[in-house]
Amino acid sequence: MPEFIWADEEGLRASFDGHERELLLGLLNEMEGLLEEPRRGDVVDQRLFPDAYDDEKDAEAFHELVGDELREGKRLAVGTIKDRLKGRGAVEMSIPEDEIEAWLTALTDLRLAIGTRLDVSEEMMSADIDPEEPEGAALSVLHWLGWLQESILAEITD
Amino acid sequence: MQPSVAPERVQIEDTSEQDEPDRPWLVIVWNDPINLMSYVTWVLQKLFGYSRAKATKLMLDVHHKGRAVVSSGTREKAELDCFRLHGYGLWATLTKSD
Repeated sequence: MPEFIWADEEGLRASFDGHERELLLGLLNEMEGLLEEPRRGDVVDQRLFPDAYDDEKDAEAFHELVGDELREGKRLAVGTIKDRLKGRGAVEMSIPEDEIEAWLTALTDLRLAIGTRLDVSEEMMSADIDPEEPEGAALSVLHWLGWLQESILAEITD
Repeated sequence: MQPSVAPERVQIEDTSEQDEPDRPWLVIVWNDPINLMSYVTWVLQKLFGYSRAKATKLMLDVHHKGRAVVSSGTREKAELDCFRLHGYGLWATLTKSD
């Protein structure tokens, strides 16, 4: 499992083995594809860019106003992690303090994309994973990403 | 000479502005099964400067009651807050208070 350790002025020290690195990079590449352009009919897009208003017209106006900027922000966060992970094999890195938010938000977006695609419920999230189930692998990845996020949060909050 | 219409206009603007603080716009965060409780608490602290205790209470309200009002104000402020919450991946909407 990757480890995150707070190292003061160095920021967050992190280590990934080759397999974990490849897994996370692959997910980030997929996310970049999802963020290329609006896909308003898609449930994942609707979760990443929710309607801000009940009223359809107001909701649409809000999307027009901020949609591009939101999308760009999410793309930048994905790019920030990718830059730290590019390459192959085990890696140790320092994540500067000002990049930690990008890690947390991009990990969130990955989890939202996977969880929404699986249509998870709170019961599914707290149940043991059955490896025989078709969604078992994706659920494992979802929990792994959550574990990464918890590890980072544990290091940066008191 | 034409009579000035300015005083009337000023009065109309005043009235609408006086209505604003009575019925602020509310920013609501909705429960979702995916986001981590610790993450939601962190976002509320970071974004609104809330104490750990206040952010935790709001997060628990979201979790147990399905939703919580996390901020309020003018429509512009509420839209900005909503935009920033979407940036962090929280499911947020806004509505005018009753």
